[in-house]
Amino acid sequence: MSATVSTELQDLLVHWLPQQRWFGGKGRAISRVDTSSSAVLHEAAEDDIVVRHVVLHVDFEDGGSDRYQLLVGSRTGEVPPRLQHAVIGAADGKTVYEAVHDSDATSALLHRIVDGHDTESVRFVSVADDLDASLPSRVMGAEQSNTSIVYGENYILKVFRRLQPGTNPDLEITRALSEAGSSHVAPPLAWLEGDVDGQPTTLGMMQTFLRNASEGWAMATASVRDLFAEGDLHADEVGGDFAGEAERLGEATAEVHALMARTLPSRTAGPEDSRVTAEQLHARLDAAVATVGELAPYADRIRAVYAQIAELTADVPIQRIHGDFHLGQVLRTQDGWVLLDFEGEPARSLEERSALMSPLRDVAGMLRSFDYAARHLLAEHPGEQHLAYRASEWAERNRTAFCDGYASAAGGDPREASVLLRAFELDKAVYEVIYEARNRPSWLPIPLGSIERLVGTPS
Amino acid sequence: MSADHDDIGHLGHGELVDLEASRDPLWFKRAVFYEVLIRGFADSNGDGTGDIKGLTSKLDYLKWLGVDCVWLLPIYQSPLRDGGYDISDFMKVLPEFGDLGDFVELVDEAHKRGMRIIADLVMNHSSDQHPWFQSSREDPNGPYGDYYVWSDTDEPYSEARIIFVDTETSNWTWDPVRKQYFWHRFFSHQPDLNYENPEVQTAMIEVLKFWLDLGIDGFRLDAVPYLYEEVGHNGENHPKTHEYLKRVRQEVDALYPDRVMLCEANQWPEDVVEYFGKDGDECQMAFHFPLMPRLFMAVRRESRYPISEILANTPPIPESCQWGIFLRNHDELTLEMVTDDERDYMYKEYAKDPRMKSNIGIARRLAPLLENDRNQIELFTGLLLSLPGSPVLYYGDEIGMGDNIYLGDRDGVRTPMQWNADRNAGFSTADPQALYLPAILDPVYGYQALNVEAQMRSSSSLLNWTRKIIHVRKQHPVFGMGTYEELGASNPSVLAFVRQFGDDKVLCVNNLSRFPQPVELDLRAFEGYVPVELTGLVPFPAIGELPYLLSLPGHGFLWFGLKPGEENS
Repeated sequence: MSATVSTELQDLLVHWLPQQRWFGGKGRAISRVDTSSSAVLHEAAEDDIVVRHVVLHVDFEDGGSDRYQLLVGSRTGEVPPRLQHAVIGAADGKTVYEAVHDSDATSALLHRIVDGHDTESVRFVSVADDLDASLPSRVMGAEQSNTSIVYGENYILKVFRRLQPGTNPDLEITRALSEAGSSHVAPPLAWLEGDVDGQPTTLGMMQTFLRNASEGWAMATASVRDLFAEGDLHADEVGGDFAGEAERLGEATAEVHALMARTLPSRTAGPEDSRVTAEQLHARLDAAVATVGELAPYADRIRAVYAQIAELTADVPIQRIHGDFHLGQVLRTQDGWVLLDFEGEPARSLEERSALMSPLRDVAGMLRSFDYAARHLLAEHPGEQHLAYRASEWAERNRTAFCDGYASAAGGDPREASVLLRAFELDKAVYEVIYEARNRPSWLPIPLGSIERLVGTPS
Repeated sequence: MSADHDDIGHLGHGELVDLEASRDPLWFKRAVFYEVLIRGFADSNGDGTGDIKGLTSKLDYLKWLGVDCVWLLPIYQSPLRDGGYDISDFMKVLPEFGDLGDFVELVDEAHKRGMRIIADLVMNHSSDQHPWFQSSREDPNGPYGDYYVWSDTDEPYSEARIIFVDTETSNWTWDPVRKQYFWHRFFSHQPDLNYENPEVQTAMIEVLKFWLDLGIDGFRLDAVPYLYEEVGHNGENHPKTHEYLKRVRQEVDALYPDRVMLCEANQWPEDVVEYFGKDGDECQMAFHFPLMPRLFMAVRRESRYPISEILANTPPIPESCQWGIFLRNHDELTLEMVTDDERDYMYKEYAKDPRMKSNIGIARRLAPLLENDRNQIELFTGLLLSLPGSPVLYYGDEIGMGDNIYLGDRDGVRTPMQWNADRNAGFSTADPQALYLPAILDPVYGYQALNVEAQMRSSSSLLNWTRKIIHVRKQHPVFGMGTYEELGASNPSVLAFVRQFGDDKVLCVNNLSRFPQPVELDLRAFEGYVPVELTGLVPFPAIGELPYLLSLPGHGFLWFGLKPGEENS
């Protein structure tokens, strides 16, 4: 398609891609890497530096294919030490590296955003006035599926890695909430768009950077650590109590849900939808039981809960939801809670991620997250029964506080829909069982224990 | 450090400072304040009650500690039905404290040492024993007839809330002599002065001038929000009150250019800022009340947000003004100053933790409040000395004094200062049973072990540590004068901020958690600078473009001066 990515580089990428944290195709053999678009972002005469925005077309041996986005830099001569870790290899007589780590390249990107200076394959859309193009940039570390660049202390640009044709729900929902005046999202300032498979597709989104913010997960685990240090005190007695935060987080979540229902599509689901939902839950459970034997003793009891959904006759309101809601997706800022990453689960298709669902799924996700926060430190204290008991108290206290907060803002208590909520929690826990069995077997007792609490001990 | 205490009591002539020659109208922005209870500090005549001469004899100690300004609670003639806040003669000293001569001597001796003295003064009301009130009730048509707020009915100003709801049923009380009701926002023995009367306005300014002429360096003006009332108004923060304060400030500034007025408005910062005046033309200082409970909350929660929130929601104040901040004082925490939303928030936070509720809000001293944990006491003192504002220390907290909860109400934190292991803690030669309150005797905080003399001898004592950290602060005007910018640390248990005042830049990093914590700070704005730790002057690695990594022990804190590196200098 284009000569800008040579066969030499394509061969390098076949080996380099699977080593990248954000690469979603780990474990699948790559048959071919090709370029579907490529445009020069930045050039410098010294060292013949060229930085290109590239969309890759990755074909797998199993017949599937994915699109990925890269900034590819190339230069003659030495790569400066600060970029050594980003080197992809040598191709066509130049050193090739991943240029999101190159502050010259990311600075050029910001200039284009501010000036609306499109390339032949990337369009820059800005909705903010007075953006400062001169801010220095740095790359945030340790992200799962995307890469974020922080400019000064003002903006954060999220570069989506795996591209699915169409508007990214993160941009769609964050914009809708921000335009409706929500204080629980970081306002979008600009975005990048390009055509993927002939469809306009979100490549990146720049938002206000929330300086002085912390992840909910870090705050919750600080609270649990404090609790474990005070063996004789209950969760409601220790100084590190998190329930006030959990309650305000519940309020924020309910407010965001209400606003999403108002500004984005929503409808009422009838019994037929409930039956379909139950089928999906059953299917996921069947697949999980086939993979992880430890689930088998609970399977019948879980199925019994799902069966109740199939019989629901009441209408259920469904709407756009967060889709991947947990304590790592919320930030405590000095003005309250902010929700992030409305992408949904990145592994799913765009269509699935944009489907209307019950907001109780998000509630269930957060309830599961409280369970995790309470219990993940227990892995380091095996056999300490009193800590396990304290952890249960903490989880219960904060789950209750979250639901109280949600109920106070939503005008309806999520716990009243007990069948659905229990089913969605089970569905999350089943997913976690698969994940832990594959990645962290020592954590497997966390979701299994939760399942046991939800459905009872198998006889 | 170890030889430092030698200079106590041997003040060399070289250290005498001529305040007249070094008039600095903004001195209060750099000053370290120290709140003294005259009754509890030192007793010079052996009657069991502290007095002004006793305090004067301890000025060298305060100078040594690093105190710039001593804040006195009311020193005036009073029947003492409200801790001296019921003044029966604004121009006399309470006899058990001494006389005007003693006061002038105190001020002169303080000034010789480069220190200053400010005192509480109640503007809103007097005692019902004050001759003005006696005359006003007896002779409605006499010269003082209109000095107080009189009414034939108890109807007017019904919008004004009753502050002491537990003891007072109305803001009006019937006077059987004048056969009218008089207005009082506080106790019924404290009639409000009538500021609508120009003679009252002038008379109170005369009171201020009287003390300023004696050399006093300023006042904490008590209960100022309540000076004026009006039908249909809630009687707080009335525009006329602000007008009057502007006039007071002008008259004081005209004659006494470097004196300070600190306003006591126990209100939320966004309301308190009104008392600075738009152009800084009312009070120069006001206490930041909500910060204190939030410091305790943040450490209990191991989260910086209680502090971050309140500072982010504190409006900017005029350049020439300053917040006063404190950890503990003679009063207990009240929640009356907060807005409804904030009260809900505070209540929610506190009520969730019964232990906390019973610890804060009740009058307790710093050390017992922190379970005598040296690391926490140091962390709190470090925060007090580095957050924006002028720090106010409470007497005895520098040695970690305890309290006596059996004394009830607020007396538990007003026990005699513990100077040494002698009789009555060295506070008084009186019969121990004649003391105004017993000295602390318990095994942990008792004066036999916990006293100034013993702590001066030990270089590792809390007293010597406190002195050291105060002196570090005093070497850096930025702590009093500088901007404040919180750094977003990745770790919610760490509060990190930068203060800047010209070339004086400091970075303060505080671990609010009991556990050791790492923190990564984005310090790119100071790329190339070298952080130099301020207590030991050890240079740390230079700041680069990558996040700056620090590790802190549990409840640890670090202060760094930011020095330009070789390339930048």
